[in-house]
Amino acid sequence: MIDDIIKMFDVVSGQEHGSIVKVLLIGFAFGAIILYSRLDKFEKMAGFMIFEDTLVPRMAMTTVALSSVGFYFLVESGYATYNIKPTMLGGLIIGGILFGIGLVILGKCPSAFLVSVSEGRLDALVGVIGGMFGGYVFTIGYPYIQQILGPDLGKIRVPDFFTEHSLLIVFTLSGILLTIAFLLPTIEYEDPADINEKNK
Amino acid sequence: MPRSIPWWLGGLLMALLFYYTFSTWGANRPIGASTGMSYFANLIFDLDTEQYEYAAIIEKSGAWEAVMLIGVFFGGLFMSTVVTKTFHLSYIPTLWKERKNTSIPSRMVWSFIAGFLLIFGARLAGGCNAGHILSGGSQLAVSGIIFAVVALGTGMITGRFFYKKRKK
Repeated sequence: MIDDIIKMFDVVSGQEHGSIVKVLLIGFAFGAIILYSRLDKFEKMAGFMIFEDTLVPRMAMTTVALSSVGFYFLVESGYATYNIKPTMLGGLIIGGILFGIGLVILGKCPSAFLVSVSEGRLDALVGVIGGMFGGYVFTIGYPYIQQILGPDLGKIRVPDFFTEHSLLIVFTLSGILLTIAFLLPTIEYEDPADINEKNK
Repeated sequence: MPRSIPWWLGGLLMALLFYYTFSTWGANRPIGASTGMSYFANLIFDLDTEQYEYAAIIEKSGAWEAVMLIGVFFGGLFMSTVVTKTFHLSYIPTLWKERKNTSIPSRMVWSFIAGFLLIFGARLAGGCNAGHILSGGSQLAVSGIIFAVVALGTGMITGRFFYKKRKK
């Protein structure tokens, strides 16, 4: 086990994707933002899907809208390259369905549940353990699972369908997302557990 | 210090973190989480790369995300103990108590099943909401958009049936 952990750090330092300290800091910031915006709370993620809270969609749309414009300029000026995941239809649809069911029941996604654990939520810890088993079964079953992942439509982006005007497309989509994020009403599930602590 | 930040500030900070991670100044790659979870699973269950094809496939990206997830845990721990001071042991979320039940075993069993589906589904799809929806969506990747529509659509339908409003 200890050898494996040392190997994990070796593999990371051997990649051209930042030093270990940098990767840890990126994670630290990611976790801190998730906790500070309360995305790790069940009431936010599950609440979004049963229409009792709008924090998650508004924040996610803002992130995607701002990032897409930023990414476009980073790539254009040579400071970044796109890293697109392949469009494997079978895997995306079956995986998306299972993920959606898991998401609404657990009420957190696979990075927020670790943040939830760091806040002392034991149900999230059980979710993490369940996730470990999910990963285990996937690795074991991969030779069989592989057959349902396709067809592979390749690494495609929306602007690929429009050979020109990709900046215009980026700006339009980002504008639409930002507008929706601002127009969505603020519905907030007030967690009594939070309110009690405020009054302490 | 305020106990939470509004959605627009959260979105802005997240976007800034994404710029940094994505660019050559940072890690020159997008953020993802579920491959890291899969990597941890292989590590704990001792599935080596020689015997299992999938362990070999995710050896590099999984290790990166696993190290990042260690950072995520401590980022959350730092905030919850120092800044928001919300750290406390709890078993059942409030909304679950309201909509579902107050039984700890029931919540734990469902958490386990949901965690399983979450990682298994994310591996099938090749990413989770960090990789597909946030990173993928920001690059206008078609895969990310399909995943977002399917996952959130299913979630909303499941939520309707799973959390029924109690009759008063």
